[in-house]
Amino acid sequence: MRDDNTKTDDAVIAVEDLHLSFGESKVLKGLDLTVGRGDVVALIGSSGSGKTTLLRCLNLLAHPNHGRISLNGEPFFQHDSGKDVLKLSSAKTNAIRSHIGMVFQQFNLFPHMTVLANVMEGPRTVKKEAEKTNRDRAMSLLEKVGMAEYADRRPDNLSGGQKQRVSIARALNMEPEVMLFDEPTSALDPELVGEVLNTMIDLAKEGMTMIVVTHELGFALEVAKRTVFLDQGTICAEGAPHEILMNPPNDRVKGFVNRFHQTAQLMKPFVS
Amino acid sequence: MFDWSVIEQNSHLLLMGLWITIKYTVITSALGLAIGLIVALMQLTSARVTVLVGRLFVEFFRNIPLLVWLLWAYYALPIFMGINISKESAGILALSLYGAAYFAEIFRAGIQSIDPGQSDAAVALGMSYRQKLTRIILPQALRRMIPPLAGQMIIQLKNTTLLSVITVPDLLYQADYIASFTYRPLETYTAVAVIFLIVLVPLTYIARRLEDKGPR
Repeated sequence: MRDDNTKTDDAVIAVEDLHLSFGESKVLKGLDLTVGRGDVVALIGSSGSGKTTLLRCLNLLAHPNHGRISLNGEPFFQHDSGKDVLKLSSAKTNAIRSHIGMVFQQFNLFPHMTVLANVMEGPRTVKKEAEKTNRDRAMSLLEKVGMAEYADRRPDNLSGGQKQRVSIARALNMEPEVMLFDEPTSALDPELVGEVLNTMIDLAKEGMTMIVVTHELGFALEVAKRTVFLDQGTICAEGAPHEILMNPPNDRVKGFVNRFHQTAQLMKPFVS
Repeated sequence: MFDWSVIEQNSHLLLMGLWITIKYTVITSALGLAIGLIVALMQLTSARVTVLVGRLFVEFFRNIPLLVWLLWAYYALPIFMGINISKESAGILALSLYGAAYFAEIFRAGIQSIDPGQSDAAVALGMSYRQKLTRIILPQALRRMIPPLAGQMIIQLKNTTLLSVITVPDLLYQADYIASFTYRPLETYTAVAVIFLIVLVPLTYIARRLEDKGPR
């Protein structure tokens, strides 16, 4: 099932045999996933399939029980049936996280800081970067996502789409090697989805490595290089978006895709 | 029938008492806040033992009457520990720990009221636990905690009157003293009540104003 074009040696993120359970319920059941540099992977599947959990495992916001996760070929998580093999210090784990940007469904901007302070917070606190360098890059990122004129506002005063664009800038300001998106447009009013998708499309074109949990099959179809379909904690289909979405390889994917085809058609104008 | 001159003649004693009351309120509130924050954080860790110790601390002090605990700290603790403990130290210890239990609950509730997404975002940026707490969680939580903290400090001030039973010369102790040699309890205790009202009504008003501004 693995995409043969993806070589493990230039993988940014590699996941091997990942298992995770919450109590009795097994959420991830032995997942393998390799994401190469510049790859844009769309993780799709119905709710409860484990796609958000998988994404949260990639920067250890969720802790798997078993399996291995590597960044640039360096394993930073390895558990053997619940036993920690690597025993990484929390400082090391935090350092790994700082290389992995994350964008949340609910934005999670810091409400007690201005837009600019939100974007500057990571480098300021985590990297102890010089104020000027940080500010200049933060402003150019806000410019890029079209939010520069809102730099001094509080997040409360922004629309959902604006918040999400700021949160993308906040993640980018850490200069991550890979960006994780957890249903970035699911909490948005339909008319605001386009502005966030456009920002993400620009990012993909610049060669950013992206893993996107999404319900926007239009995005998966037009922007993603690879689509991974999760079902009940396992990868049920994987491949080029056109293959998966236009000619579903099995009934499970077919059933899912048919329900969404109508929405995908509606989204087409945004993802030209 | 009333003779208010006893208050005037002994006003220096009452003022001294008020000073002691305020001093103990400030010291025990500060210590209580510091200990309370630690106890709250203990209850928010993932280590079960730490959570249990924090929980026990809170439940112990919330379920024992302050007067009983104060007397125990003054009379029984020294015997238990085989140490000498002055009435001042016993008073500060008792009131600080008692206040800490209540402050801890305010801190815990305040921190838990912050959306878990805030913690996720901080962690995802690579922040350490300490950075997450000081930069993201506490600044937001403190804003919500100000009204209940102010309320608890007012209670802390009223609780200092219990110090008089272990002969710390607070406002109430001075009143007992004045009443004992002037035979004018009515005037004396009325004066004490009025002094408390003068100090506390503005504080309560400020606390309510903070509450009306509401959490954000």
